[in-house]
Amino acid sequence: MPEAEAIRLAQQGSAPAFERLYRLHNRRVYSLCLRMVSNTAEAEDLTQEAFLQLFRKIATFRGESAFSTWLHRLAVNVVLMRLRKKSGTEASLDEMTEPDEESGGPRRDFGGPDLRLSGSIDRVNLQRAVDQLPPGYKSVFVLHDVQGYEHNEIAKIMECSIGNSKSQLHKARMRLRELLHEALRSKAREDRKAASEGGED
Amino acid sequence: MAVNNCKDFLKQLETWTGGEHPADAQPHLRSCANCRSLVQDIDAIRAEARSWGALETEPHERVWTSLRAQLEQEGLIRPTETKLVPTTAPSQDSWLSGFFGRIPRPALAGAYLSVLVALGFALSGPVTKQTNEARWLEGTQVATSPLSARLNSVEQTAIPASRDLNPAVTASLHQNLAIVDNYILLCEKSVQEEPQNEVARDYLYEAYQQKAYLLAQIGERGENVQ
Repeated sequence: MPEAEAIRLAQQGSAPAFERLYRLHNRRVYSLCLRMVSNTAEAEDLTQEAFLQLFRKIATFRGESAFSTWLHRLAVNVVLMRLRKKSGTEASLDEMTEPDEESGGPRRDFGGPDLRLSGSIDRVNLQRAVDQLPPGYKSVFVLHDVQGYEHNEIAKIMECSIGNSKSQLHKARMRLRELLHEALRSKAREDRKAASEGGED
Repeated sequence: MAVNNCKDFLKQLETWTGGEHPADAQPHLRSCANCRSLVQDIDAIRAEARSWGALETEPHERVWTSLRAQLEQEGLIRPTETKLVPTTAPSQDSWLSGFFGRIPRPALAGAYLSVLVALGFALSGPVTKQTNEARWLEGTQVATSPLSARLNSVEQTAIPASRDLNPAVTASLHQNLAIVDNYILLCEKSVQEEPQNEVARDYLYEAYQQKAYLLAQIGERGENVQ
């Protein structure tokens, strides 16, 4: 069943059409949620919530935007709402960034040429660094660099300007770089400590 | 725009990492080890992110099961059971009367009662056995095996009796039982894969409960007709 037909039938309450739409998009939505929260149970819960909101509103879908964009907008909003609840704030997307990076110019911390990330990043430490990003940065980074959306699509999903999306992505990458460098330095310190302790034995 | 220092280059970083390499930025990059390092790091982050993005995982089947139940509860989609057991439409009482009239009701009622007793025993298990995981896991297997067998036994009593009925009714019955059976299979598979997952066990008992409920509806209708 093609997506357009499934949407039309789902608007009439057809169970197989709902399931078809779910099967078409569940991997992408779940992956987005999982990368945003790093917890399978919570990601499942958020996926269910995103689809539930979608199906509750499906009768109002008129096809002005792509169905997947609409669904991703709902999913991102569901995730951001959860993250806001967790942090106990009602901050807007713009406020969920770091004040020093919002107000100031480019950070001076470029990182020295002695520490290279190339060849030392793996999925585990990247996920760990992404987990530490403010929600706004995290959303744009996951959508753009991980899931491959373009800035114009992200602008529609997150209801922001293309410039805002680019700016958030730049800040997200710079912050990730800092976090990954910190992790590398920390690991190097631990290795040195272990080596010196081993030498004392 | 001329790139004379790191701050200027930073403004062009997005363009640079996007694949465009403006000629006026290249002299600075050649001479600045920090900016070269920055570009290499961002490229490394993007490459790892891309490979991460290529791995998309499907959510567990329980997400759809739970979502579907919620949609049915909210009336957004039609529940599967209503096709088989309408409770208000008088026009369908006639086929129900015919259907239940042919099932050996005492046997069905007895079997259903035993299913409920077994189900009650199984459902009460987690509360008392959570303190001892090994005993609980063993208890799950012990409790579900006879439960599954009894449900099958009840089904086997009902199915032969439905053969002489209206083919549409029989088809509907088989379709609904097949849906519940598939659900049970999925849940049993989940429990086998993750025997310590309490959510998976809850879904399994819920699946048995659905089948028991389906058979109970048949039993109740049968007794009412009688």
